[in-house]
Amino acid sequence: MASSNAVFLIILVLAAAVFSFSAQRLVRFLRLGQGTHRFDALPRRIVNLLTIGFGQTKILRDPVAGTLHALVFWGFVVLQLGAIEILVAGVVPAFSYADLLPVPVYRLFLLTQDVTSLAVLVAVSVLLYRRLVVKPRRLQGDQVHGGDAILILSLIAALMVTLLLTSGAERVTAARAPAIVQPFAAALAIVLSRMPDSLLSALHGVSWWSHALLILVFLNYLPYSKHLHVIVSLPNTFLSNTSGPGTIGTMKAMDLDAETEQFGASDVTHLSWKNLLDGYACTECGRCTAACPANMTGKPLSPRKIVINTRQRLSEVAPSLVGADDPMSALPMHTGPRDDTDSGARDRRLLDHYITEDELWACTSCRACVYECPVSIDQLEIINELRRNLVLTESRFPEEIQPAFESMERNGTPWAFPASDRAKWAEGLDIPTLAELLERNERADVLYWVGCMGSFDERAQKTTVAFARIMKHAGVRFAILGQEEACHGDPARRMGNEYLYQILAKQAIETLDRYRVTTIVTACPHCFHQIGNEFPQLGGHYEVIHHSTYIEQLLADGRIALADPVAQRLTVAYHDSCYLGRYNAIYDAPREVLRRSLPVVALVEPPRTRDRGLCCGAGGGRMFMEERIGERINVERKKELLATGADAIAVACPFCMTMLADAGKKLDSSVTVLDVAEVVAQHLAEGVTAVPRDVA
Amino acid sequence: MRIAVCIKRVPDMDVKFRIAGHAKGVDETGLKYDMADFDGYAVEAALQMMEKEGAGEVVVVSLGPDAVQETLRKALSMGATSAIQLKCDEVPFDGFAVASALASELGGATYDLIMFGRMSTDNANGVVGPMVAELLGLPVVTACSKLEIVAGRGTARRELEGGAEFVAFDLPAVVTIDEGIARPRYPSLKGIMAAKKKPLATKPANLPEPRLVIARMDLPPERKAGRIVGEGAAAVPELVRLLQQEAKVLA
Amino acid sequence: MTHILAFAEQRGGALRKVALEAVSTARGLADGQDGEVHALLLGAPGIAAHAESLFEYGADVVLVVEHDGFAQYNAESASAFVADRIASGAYRAAIFAASAMGKDLAPRVAGKLKTALASDVTSLAREGDAYVVTHPTYTGKVIATARLLAKPALISVRPGAIPAIAKPRTGRVEKVAPVGDPAKSRVVVTETSTSDSKKLDLGDAPVIVSGGRGLKASEHFHLVEELADAFGNAAVGATRAVTDEGWRPHSDQIGQTGRVVSPDLYVAVGISGAIQHLAGMRTARTIVAINRDKDAPIFKVADYGIVGDVFEVLPVLTKAIREAKKAQG
Repeated sequence: MASSNAVFLIILVLAAAVFSFSAQRLVRFLRLGQGTHRFDALPRRIVNLLTIGFGQTKILRDPVAGTLHALVFWGFVVLQLGAIEILVAGVVPAFSYADLLPVPVYRLFLLTQDVTSLAVLVAVSVLLYRRLVVKPRRLQGDQVHGGDAILILSLIAALMVTLLLTSGAERVTAARAPAIVQPFAAALAIVLSRMPDSLLSALHGVSWWSHALLILVFLNYLPYSKHLHVIVSLPNTFLSNTSGPGTIGTMKAMDLDAETEQFGASDVTHLSWKNLLDGYACTECGRCTAACPANMTGKPLSPRKIVINTRQRLSEVAPSLVGADDPMSALPMHTGPRDDTDSGARDRRLLDHYITEDELWACTSCRACVYECPVSIDQLEIINELRRNLVLTESRFPEEIQPAFESMERNGTPWAFPASDRAKWAEGLDIPTLAELLERNERADVLYWVGCMGSFDERAQKTTVAFARIMKHAGVRFAILGQEEACHGDPARRMGNEYLYQILAKQAIETLDRYRVTTIVTACPHCFHQIGNEFPQLGGHYEVIHHSTYIEQLLADGRIALADPVAQRLTVAYHDSCYLGRYNAIYDAPREVLRRSLPVVALVEPPRTRDRGLCCGAGGGRMFMEERIGERINVERKKELLATGADAIAVACPFCMTMLADAGKKLDSSVTVLDVAEVVAQHLAEGVTAVPRDVA
Repeated sequence: MRIAVCIKRVPDMDVKFRIAGHAKGVDETGLKYDMADFDGYAVEAALQMMEKEGAGEVVVVSLGPDAVQETLRKALSMGATSAIQLKCDEVPFDGFAVASALASELGGATYDLIMFGRMSTDNANGVVGPMVAELLGLPVVTACSKLEIVAGRGTARRELEGGAEFVAFDLPAVVTIDEGIARPRYPSLKGIMAAKKKPLATKPANLPEPRLVIARMDLPPERKAGRIVGEGAAAVPELVRLLQQEAKVLA
Repeated sequence: MTHILAFAEQRGGALRKVALEAVSTARGLADGQDGEVHALLLGAPGIAAHAESLFEYGADVVLVVEHDGFAQYNAESASAFVADRIASGAYRAAIFAASAMGKDLAPRVAGKLKTALASDVTSLAREGDAYVVTHPTYTGKVIATARLLAKPALISVRPGAIPAIAKPRTGRVEKVAPVGDPAKSRVVVTETSTSDSKKLDLGDAPVIVSGGRGLKASEHFHLVEELADAFGNAAVGATRAVTDEGWRPHSDQIGQTGRVVSPDLYVAVGISGAIQHLAGMRTARTIVAINRDKDAPIFKVADYGIVGDVFEVLPVLTKAIREAKKAQG
């Protein structure tokens, strides 16, 4: 075997060299991206790696495909050990773990290899069947590389077959352990033992060589396939900010004073290296797109396509940007049909040539895509960066949002209403402003941030008043800013207008700090998220409590006396707000408020609920845009909620309120939409002062 | 082509105005200022003509205190080439005084086209454009809702009561711009940054003694609170009576 | 410096109502003082026939310039002639209408005479040496009172602000020869078009009748169109719900994401008044709402509301408006 060992050594070294070359090339491409710091919050990153990565928690959200994938993944991890043994033995024939490991451990090793290889073979066969026969919808579209998937699955199947054959043939000549630790190899050996020796020897040789070579082929094919994710997804999960480090859902901070003419991204080089890594990590499973409210209602946006396009564009332009450093620039790349001849590549860019405006403006920023991604890709950040470029660099956006921008500048609200009308709802309600309290030398415990919807929208004003009544009832010393409140700029930020956002946010911070505000309550999840999670980027640090949480606490503390809810029998379907739920993981507080306020209430859940909740369609500035393409998201959602048969729909967000109430008109539904605060306020025992539990 | 656009800084109109203590103007506290609407259309139209031609200059001119520099910067951020502030403490109500100051600046340079908004949204006199034209001896076309310049000759659509007319004229000329010509662009941040480096000259305004002066400002009578006139078709006669006699909108 | 000149506007050979208003305004200033009211009438040959009407409203003298070049309004020659006349005559004031034509003419005349103009006034009075005028500013939210010190005093009056009152005078017609060629102009009118009153733009229409989802179906929208038609000067608008349903084109949408309008009268038919819609119309001067739901937010912004079924109310209202308009002539 000496000569064949030498040959294998040469092949091994060559394969390693080619792989190292490919890997370095990919790293060089990544370095075309902008810097981003991804080594903070290490404990959280490690937890993510262990749960989402090794634990496959996100993958398993799809029970069928998830289980199969998890089997293959865990099988791969297990079989790595065997692969190392095989590769080393190819050079040093005498090498075997048998000589290194205690017998029980070695036998356990053999058992895992044997069982796992068959399990993977079965899983891969089912997955192949799924792709070739069942053809699930989410695996179609977006120019996904279906053939690539078939090739990889077949390759894995071949790896497993050759592995089993090798083990089986080995057992015929020299069984290293009882049949019980290699049940499948042993079974195979029984069949193979009938072969003539020469044929068996040949079969072993072929199987071994095929297996070893397939490993090397597989390794070297990966960098040129969407299955690069096999290598990249674990690091990608570790480096991601989508599930922990940083505040979830916080938009990327932006330095507007930087000396640059490029704001946001119009091409891959303006994105961060992590956005580019996302492209490598994507295996086109389509879970993001399947969960996207825009996509499911017929809009051109597909979060998967955004990621695939990012990778395609990087592959197209990177070789020419890396230039002479890339000796392979002439070779065809893995990512598809576009040629990467230098001239064309330089003339194109990610925006327009790959990703169109209609796709970008269709996004509701609901984060369902980000939440579903099994490898922690951040599709939303790419969309937001492209939106920023559209607005800040190119001033291109749907014309109907210009009035919203201008109104935010002039009136401090995206709605075309005068700032002087902001506190009109409070007239005659005896609600002090912070300015009035300051004059009287009094202080408030909490500031009630009403928000633009709560201030100007007739319907939302009812929620505003309801929450104010609850706080008064509970004896909370609260105040409002009155006419000093103005939009914090979140809608502008979501629509890509970071400049306007920062002006407004800084003004708001200045106002809040002037009154030394520390604790803020608000009935708007967007205000809640923006002030609580994003103001810190600009130096504003406040404790912000959403009204659902606050009311829940007041109820828990016994500070709210409710009238006897006799004859109340109400079935309520609660609709999760994206900015409360997926952005801030508040799912239980609003439900708890409903349960506590109406003991005989029956809470029902639509099929898509909690972290899978479908967006109402208003987020990401969509509230201020026309929905010209496809079906209406709010109608789609309203249908789901109505299908629960609930008597009422409860929300905890004024935007959800408007969208679902509007959809109700369209569907001619008389089912009322109520804010959780209204449900409580309807049942306040007037004239009764609740005795706080800790006092009683 | 060299185009001058005269713009005015005015408060946002969507507020409840209060009268200042001196009773000769509105209380400026809390007001947000921006370019007057029609002036914005004029700037946009000018920029589009310059862009279409691929060459030329758009100079924006504004009369007033230093605060007008902000409005001029906005026009620069939209894409104007340079700006001139004609400095004075207060913009006179007398349009002729304003026109004189502008004419003395504009007459000293050679512009192919001098553009104005049809009127300012605050004083709403609508006289400055044609007065400047007369002072400079230039032809003037007022209230253009469409404007095209081809090879030194202009064509425009003018809005009239119950109709429109199309006119042709030679440059140099003065035009005033009506609604509908072009929606002013939203400046990009890139434009805002670039505007900081563009030239803005400040010169003293050459204002004559105004002969139309504000004696006082008043708020019109409070609008009555809304009311339900009645139910069903039976309420129609009373509604029509109110529209005729109270609201006076059936003229 | 005693007489008052009133510019008598004509179109297509017919006197306009604003001509009588201008003469009547001048009469009001002249009464009790020295001096005559001179109405200046430019037109094609034969225009002098209208002098009688001008006497009827208080003109002492009708200065008539008959020339084919004045058949249509020629801004350059008209302004030159008027300026020349004022400069050469003994006028202490000149009154124009602040009509589309007057808004073009008066500032040109003032510019030629290098004097101030009190534009678009809603009232005027003589106070000592000066004229005191009022003029709506800040989109009508503030009324300015100004003193016009210039001599002669050039004033344009908002149409309809000062009613024409008959005050017959026995006057005389003076034919005046034009100066130069009245047909000559550096600005040439190449085409004129009269707009179809049914296609008034939402931005220009003094009245807007707007329909919402309360109309239930596209085929009921004719009720809104008929009401608009009854007004004669109304455009038709719609809510986002209606344009979304495709009952009306998107260009008809009024609201935050559509057109923002401020007509004199806004009639909201079957519109509940969501924030999206209110943002586009709440600055209308007078708002009428017709809606079945008495709690609809639209009633909070409406000046006048009728609670009722639009299918019952609208036909009756349309008929009543038609009759009211007819009674006015």
